[in-house]
Parts: sequence; structure tokens; C-alpha cells
Amino acid sequence: MFTKRSPLTLVVSLMTAATLLAGCGAGNAGQNNTGAATPAPSTAPSTAPSTSPEPAKSGGEVNIYTARHYDVDKELHAAFTEQTGIKVNVVEGKAPELIERMKREGASTPADLFITVDGGILNSAKTEQLLQPIASEVIDKQVPADLRDKDNNWIGLSSRARVIIYAKDRVKPEQLSTYEDLATDKWKGKIAVRSSENLYNQSMLASFIDVMGEKEAEAWAKGFAANLARKPEGGDRDQAKAVVAGVADVAIMNTYYVGQLAASEDAEEKKVAEQIGVFFPNQQTTGTHLNLSGAGLLKTSKNKENAIKLLEFLTAAEAQTKISAANFEFPVNSEAKLPELLTSWGTFKHQNIDFAKYGELNPKAVEIANKVGWE
Amino acid sequence: MSFVAVDGVTFRFAAGQSAVIEDLSFAMSRGETVGVLGASGSGKSTLLRLIAGLEMPERGSISINGRVIVDERVFVEPEKRGVGMVFQDYALFPNMTVADNIVFGLHKLKREERRLRLEEMLELVQLSGYVRRYPHELSGGQQQRVALARALAPQPSVLLMDEPFSNLDAHLKAAIRSELRQILRQAGTTCLLVSHDEADVDAICDRSLHVRAVEASDFGSAEFAR
Amino acid sequence: MKKSLLPRSARRQINGWTMASVIGAAVVLLPILYVLTGLFRPANENWDKVKQFLLTDYILGSAKLVIFTGFFATFIGVVLAWLVVGYSFPLRRFYKWALVLPLAMPPYIAAYTYSSMTGYTGVIQATLRNRFDLVLPPGTIDVMSDRGAIFVLTLCLFPYIFMLTRVFLERQSASFIENARLLGHKPLSVFFRVVLPLARPAIMAGVMLVLFEVLSDFGVANYFGVQTVSTAIFQTWFGMYDVQSAMKLAAWLMVAVLGLFMLERLLRRSRRYASPTSRSNPLKPQPLKGIAAWGATLFCTLVFLLAFFFPIAQLVVWAIETGGTVWRSDFLDLTVNTLKGAGLGTAIVLLIAILSSRAARMFDSPFMQALTRLLSAGYAVPGAIVAIGVLAVFIALDEWLAPFYGMLGKEEGALVLSLSLAMLITGYVIRFMATGYGALEAGYEKMPKAYSEASRTLGRSSLATFFRVELPLLRGSLLSGFVLTFVEVVKELPLTMLLRPFNYDTLSTRAYQYATDERVFDAALPSLFLVLIGLISVLFILKAERS
Repeated sequence: MFTKRSPLTLVVSLMTAATLLAGCGAGNAGQNNTGAATPAPSTAPSTAPSTSPEPAKSGGEVNIYTARHYDVDKELHAAFTEQTGIKVNVVEGKAPELIERMKREGASTPADLFITVDGGILNSAKTEQLLQPIASEVIDKQVPADLRDKDNNWIGLSSRARVIIYAKDRVKPEQLSTYEDLATDKWKGKIAVRSSENLYNQSMLASFIDVMGEKEAEAWAKGFAANLARKPEGGDRDQAKAVVAGVADVAIMNTYYVGQLAASEDAEEKKVAEQIGVFFPNQQTTGTHLNLSGAGLLKTSKNKENAIKLLEFLTAAEAQTKISAANFEFPVNSEAKLPELLTSWGTFKHQNIDFAKYGELNPKAVEIANKVGWE
Repeated sequence: MSFVAVDGVTFRFAAGQSAVIEDLSFAMSRGETVGVLGASGSGKSTLLRLIAGLEMPERGSISINGRVIVDERVFVEPEKRGVGMVFQDYALFPNMTVADNIVFGLHKLKREERRLRLEEMLELVQLSGYVRRYPHELSGGQQQRVALARALAPQPSVLLMDEPFSNLDAHLKAAIRSELRQILRQAGTTCLLVSHDEADVDAICDRSLHVRAVEASDFGSAEFAR
Repeated sequence: MKKSLLPRSARRQINGWTMASVIGAAVVLLPILYVLTGLFRPANENWDKVKQFLLTDYILGSAKLVIFTGFFATFIGVVLAWLVVGYSFPLRRFYKWALVLPLAMPPYIAAYTYSSMTGYTGVIQATLRNRFDLVLPPGTIDVMSDRGAIFVLTLCLFPYIFMLTRVFLERQSASFIENARLLGHKPLSVFFRVVLPLARPAIMAGVMLVLFEVLSDFGVANYFGVQTVSTAIFQTWFGMYDVQSAMKLAAWLMVAVLGLFMLERLLRRSRRYASPTSRSNPLKPQPLKGIAAWGATLFCTLVFLLAFFFPIAQLVVWAIETGGTVWRSDFLDLTVNTLKGAGLGTAIVLLIAILSSRAARMFDSPFMQALTRLLSAGYAVPGAIVAIGVLAVFIALDEWLAPFYGMLGKEEGALVLSLSLAMLITGYVIRFMATGYGALEAGYEKMPKAYSEASRTLGRSSLATFFRVELPLLRGSLLSGFVLTFVEVVKELPLTMLLRPFNYDTLSTRAYQYATDERVFDAALPSLFLVLIGLISVLFILKAERS
């Protein structure tokens, strides 16, 4: 009898062991990656593994699901922990996946903050009823109202402008004016842009639907797609390279990639950055398309105060300066200092638009892109 | 009283297929060597596998030395039947030496007894100098003898041999046949031997059993010759 | 009398092994079944749109990728395997193991490495431009295309076929091939009439792995802008915010793959291949001379350079350039996390694989066959979809266990399992069951059943037989199963992203972090670490194989 049962027992016991092991791993996982701030003794917990990692100091903790994955964010979290004793636990992922995870976890979700890089996605977290208002006078002061949700369910942390870049040797900035102009015959076969499957483009198109109206936006997309020098491929940086390589004369890309090219360790990429100019379109009309990276406060947050503290920290001038310096994003706090490259571009006017529209109009934008054949 | 009794055994590989063995009955006395003859596909090997417990009959019962090993309610696992088997291509464990192969079935003996039994067996099959060899370093005839020694070592009540000569050269065969007969006599083992070659059976066995393939119109039966 | 059939066979079928297999299978199957329920959920308007506008293109895209990658990978893998087994030529001994190394390279990393290398600022064009003042017309080298995806996937995946075929030919084929040679068959005829049919099970096992990898690939297809069913799933999810339709699509993909499985099984069953015999001698390679020898060396070298050396060299250069800024003290943690996840996941995969492949061998019924195929289905579906299934099951499990947690003094509604590493590990197990199961199934297939039967008739129980006879003989298969699975888990990305607990970063998530931000150079260092771990485990198997 023994021999007959033993394989079963073997499996069950091994699985239990594995699960327990895994549980322990989760229990002290929180102590793994944080900076030098916590001198936490990592002795194995003799009790059952705990869901919420024990705080090292009395400061408690804050749990973030984030689709931002920048080294500077990690550094800021560590600095925050050092300052306040509040431990920052992070799960990084893609935004829609994180939303799905939060939805499925429901009221039990451990997440306090949801951080991502697109206004539309922030809004869809809001419409999924995952968020609650962020009540903080400090934040209200640090983040201008047009970079916040109208119900304060989320706030902006930084922004990027989606601009036109051009080959300095072939195009004069005077030739450029608006996004609309790029859809005219003048630019036939001269434009590079990445795929419409990319969220940056979808949000841009969504903003045009709001600003121009659906019909005009579709007409624009049609003209624009017809002017493309090549089938969309690669990322934003690749568009800049295509312009320098002579594939196209102009391209649409985010400002912060221009900054990264300029700061690249690769000499060839630096050269690319030197050969392109940045143009902020629609200055006389509707303004340049802006996209927002921001944070929402979970409705079910169990560490609400800590979460708000972290947001206050992240939107303060000091942190904002760091974000901008490391990532070439535009700060939301006007007191922050800009890196030299960004100052050299001067100030610009951005679209006056409710970022929620990016989310609401996204399906329409995808539909239009598919319809006009913008791959 | 018969030592091995097979009673009304029917077997088919899968439901709906025609039976490989149908309503087969026969008996063996203790110490007897019986040959099973028949064309390939006639279910000879299956018969051995049924006795060894490697297949389960659809109907019928088998008993050894008065103990029922399979019937409607009972199924004794192969390891508890006390049956030894020599497989057609010997199935010597390739990762074990000759010695390890032979003592494999002696796990219940004490170490010393095991050693003695090993020596006894090696002497019986005359392979004393080969203990440390691996199966692939042996000739076909030597492999066959190791397989025999391995099967005999635990002193099975019945020895089953499946085409023990099929892999041997003709000139080896004659020598080994008489050798085998001698070994079996010496060990006093009850043995059921399957072969497609009547000469094998004539040379070794006390009597033989003919199995005919079962065809739709031709209900299988076993008949005793000699 | 017929009645007796049931209880008898039932008695034999229900034992510890089956029970254990069923439990193991349940762990793996629940999330897969969850995804499959997508088939039966009502379709919404998005689904109609997907079906109408996208599906044909995407299916064609996938088919194209699968067919071409499958063909080239099979060609390269089988020819190379036969070369290093059947012939001797300069550097043969080196390539015998070196050609397995590309396995350590995650396809998405190879993809961005290649596209950057060949791009405008990449080393090729930059050198031509700066040294020779030669400007290539745009589009001369276009990796960012269907062809590029086929190129990268072929180079990253052919080692599966190479490895499985090579091992098979080395161990199983000697007598047949030597016979054929003695019978005066010309080399080509030996290859087509003996080697190919003989090694078909091994080749097919490799091809299946490759096909699954291609079907489930999102990284490469997405990066190169190739439209496949996998990218369609994500476009539906991320673009239309419609998880339901995405799941439905994934469920259909799974059904298609299961169909493929069954078809292959059916084809294989109708013919009997090299029946395993207890005796097999290694094949002696024939020496090649002159042009033939150098041709063989050249071919191996070309494949090795393209699939391994060039991308690795490029990564090393980038890693040196960026090491200072990218290196941080948590690299050790990343490595430990990577190893821990991969080690645990692989161990459990192998355990379940042993149980189920043995159960399948003992009770070879259509039901068992279907069950084991379903076990492997996770391999063919994008990781993120598997992740949703796992997430759903774990959260349900947590809800179900809530009273129990309460007794342990947890707060109400606490998530325990779904915040633990166990969830991620389960995800790994489901996703990569196929590699472990495939290896063990192959191991059992080439082990004659007579070994186990001989052991039983020698008085050893089923369990003792397993430990004393089968396990030692399975050693090689276990090892290759271990390494194949381990390397897969090390490379894994989407599951890790979605199922990880707090503060759990691995080397692949770190590499992704940079790559997704188009900081390809910064991704080099973590990528290199990743490849290094893969390399070490691949070398480990090769060493163990030799002893």
C-alpha cells in the first residue's frame, strides 16, 4: 500500500513545500530591491508569510503598480524612503495588464497608486472605477489644474510633447507650421512615423478628433498616411534615424526621445540628434500635442496617506527637476529646473484638452487609423 | 494437481478488437518444461505476459501453485507473482553491469546471501569472468545467459521465456539449447517457453502446446502434442 | 461475463501514479481551461470587428511566419545535426556543442540587437559611412520586416531541432545508417532515405517546439511590426481595451495548436519508427575531405556567427559603453530572482512531466493522450494570456481560502497566494510544461518497455522500478528537459511582468525596461547577464551529456 500511495504523497508534499517556499519568498521580497535606506534584518520569518511586508521603520509602506520603468523613478522612491521611512513596493508592468490585474484583484488589491504614461490610460483606470480623488493642497499647488483629472482622480507627473522633427540640411523650419500641413501634398513621400498600433499615435489622433472633429481628423489621417515615406516601422528613435538617413524629411516623435538620442552613449546616435531640428507645431493655432505621465490613487488604497505623501514628494520641485534631467520629460511643477536641451527649445503652447478624451476617443482613433490604412 | 493452471482465459488488446487469445485453458505440473508453438501474431507472447501480470485477461483465471493470481476479483501485481521472465531481446539494464543485473531481483536477500546467489548463478551460466562487463560489451549468447541468470536468481516458481533464441546465430543456438536444457533441469524450474521454431521446443521441452491465431471463423484453441 | 472488464481495468488504472498525475494536471489545466472558456463566452461587437477586419491578415501573417521559420529552422537544424554526427571535419567537436548556444539568446533581444546593428546608426552602416564614405540606399538592409522576423526567429530557434536531432542520431541510428552505407547508398540518399525518416520523431519534437515559440512570440513580431495572431491578441487588448475578445482569440489559437498536436500524433502513430532496442552503439563519423570538409566548417561557422557570435559581440560592446550608468547594486538580486524563479519553476515542471509522461506510458488511452497534450498547450499561447488564466485561478483560490486565512489572523479579503511568488511559478509551469514534458516523453519513447517489465517480474514494485530502472535511464532526458525549460524561464518576460510579486525584478524585466524605452544600448548589460545564465546552463547539459 505504501508504495502505491507514495508518488501521490511525494507530489503533494513537494508542491506544498514549493508553495511555502514561494510564500516565504513573497514575504520578504519587499526587502530585496530597495536602496540603502532599510537596514531591515532579513532573517527568515518564522511565522507564516505575511501579505504586507513588515515595515522597516514606523513609516509604513506604499504599494505601486507602475507602467513607468525608469531608473530615475527607482532613485526617487529610494530617496522618498530615506526621507520618510515609508517603504515603496513596486510592481512594474504594461499599463493595460496592470489595469487587468487590479480589476481582477478587486477590493483586495494591494495597490495604492497606479502610475502610467498616457492620459488615456489614466482615464480608463478612472472609468473602470478603480480610482478616488486625491485630496492634497500641496499637490494642487504643485500641479496645474490642466494637468490633473477634473475630479482629481489622477494627477500628472511629467509630460512629453509630440513634435515634428526635420532634417536640418533639407528642411527649413519656416516650411513647417502645423500637423494639418503634414497631410497636404507638399509632404508626399517625405514623412516618417511609427505604427498606429502605438499608443502615442493613437492618443495624438484621439486629440485631433476632439480638436478638429471626427470628419476632419479622418481626412487628416488619410492625407497623412498617404504622405508616408515608408511603411511604419520601429520606434520613435528610428524615425529620427530615418530622417537623417534620408528616408524621409520630417517625422513625428516625442521630445524625450530627442533628448535621449542627444544624451546617448553611442556616438552615431549623438550625430543623429545633431542633424535634426525640433519644431513645435500649431503654435498659432491649437497647440502642440502633449501626453501625460501620471498617477491615480486607488479607491481601495490601504495606505492612502502614504500614497499622497509620495505624490507630493514626486511633484515637488526637487523630484521634478530630477525627472526632467534624467528623462528629458517636461516637469508639471513650474518651479522645477529644465535641462539645457529643453530650455533651448523655448516655451511652447500645448493643446488645451481634457486628457480623458485620449481614452474616450481611443477606439475611434484606432478605427480611423485602420480605415485610412495607417499601419 | 497442476502447478500452473490457466482456465478459460480470453484477451484482447482493445475493446472491439478481435480476441488475441480466446477461452484458453491448459495446465502444467511442477518442474515441467513446456514449449508454446505457433506462428507469429498467434498470441504466444501475450500468453506469457498474462501469466507474468504484464497484461490483464478479459476473462478467465490463472493460478500458480494453488494461489489464484488473477480472476474476476483478484489481480496480483507482477512483482508479487514470483514469476521469472526472459524477454525476447533480453531487456538487460544497459546502465548496470552483469553482476548488478543479476542481483537486481535479490533486493530482499541479505548482502552475503546475495553474493552467494550471484556466484551460484554465474557458475550456472558460466559467466564468472564477466561480472563487471556491461551488457553491450557481451555477445548475443552471453547476453542471453545473463538474462537467464537474472530471471532465475530470485528462484521464481515459474520461468517464462519469450523466443529466447531468436537473436542468436545458428551455430550458437545448438550449443545454447542443450546448455539451457541442462540449466533448467539443474535448477528444477517449471518453465514455459515460447518459440516459433519447433526444433527449439523439441530440444528442450518435455511437451509442447500449439497456439493458433484466432480468426473470425476459427475459434482459438490450444492442443497438446506429443 | 463482459461486466468483469470494467472493474478489472479500473482497478489497474487507479493507483498512486494516476492520482498524482491528475493533481499535477489539475494545477496546470485549470488556468488553461479558464482561457479556453473564452470560446463559449458571448461575442461582443469588437469580436465581430476583429473577425471581419483583422483576422485573415493576422492568420496569414502567423502562417507565413510559422511556415518559413519552421522550414528554415528545420533545414538548418537537421542538416547541422547530421553533419556533426555523421561526418568529421575541422572544428566539428566545437560546433557539436557551440551550435546549441543560441538557445540562450532571447529572440526579442536578438531582434533589437540585429535591428540596431543593421540600422542607420548601427555598426555596419556607420562603418561604411565613416570609413569608406559609402552610404547605403535606405532600405538596403531591412530587418524590420517579415523577412527580418523570420531571420531572427530561425536563428534563435533552430537549436531546438539541432539539439534533439543530434542526440537522437548519436544514440539511436548507428546500425541503420551503417547498414545503409554498407549497402552502397550515396550520402544524399543516406540522408533522405535513412536519416530523415529515422530521426523524424526527434525532428518533429523540435519542430513542434519551434512552431509553438513562433506562434506565441509577441516580442519579435511586435518589434518588427509583423502582424500575427499574437499581436492581434494584444491589439485587441491594449488597443481596444477588450480583454474578453483577446481571450477569445487566444482560446482559438490554443484550439488550433491542439489540433496541430493531434495531427502530428496521428501521423506519427500510423507509422512505426526505429523501435527502441536495448543495444545501440554510437555512430562513427565519416571523415570529410577537401572542399566538402571546408564547406561543412564554413556552413557551421556562418550559422554560429550569425546566430550567436555577432549579436553577443555587439551586446558586449554596448555593455562596455553603458556599463557605468546601467550597473547598479541590485544586479545580484536580479540574478538571484532569475535563478530562483527558473529553478523552482523548472523543478516543478519536471516533476509533473515525469508523473504525466509515465502515466501516459502506462495507460496509453486516447483520454490520456488528450490530457497530456492539453498539459503542453500553454507553450503555444502568449505568456500574457496564460497569465490572465493564472491570475483568475489564483484570485479565486484566495477568495476560496479566505476563511482559512482568517484563522491565521489575516485581515479580511487578504490576497496571499496571488501576491506570492507561487503565482508566478505556476505561470512558468503552465507556460513551459511542453519543454519538460516533451523531453521526458521522448526519453520514455526510446526506453523499451521491457526494462520496466523485467524489473516488475524481478519483484520490484512500480515505484521501485521507477527509481531503480527508469530514472537512471531517463537521466539524459531529464537533463535536457531541465536545461530547455530552465533557459526558457530565464528568458521569459510577459508572465513575469504580469504575475510577479512586489519588488520582484528579474534580468529579463530589467532588459525589457530599457528596450521598451528604445534604450537598446542600456539593455545590453542585463541582456548579457541573461544570456550568460542561459549559456552556463547549456554548457552544463553538454558537460553532463559527455560524462
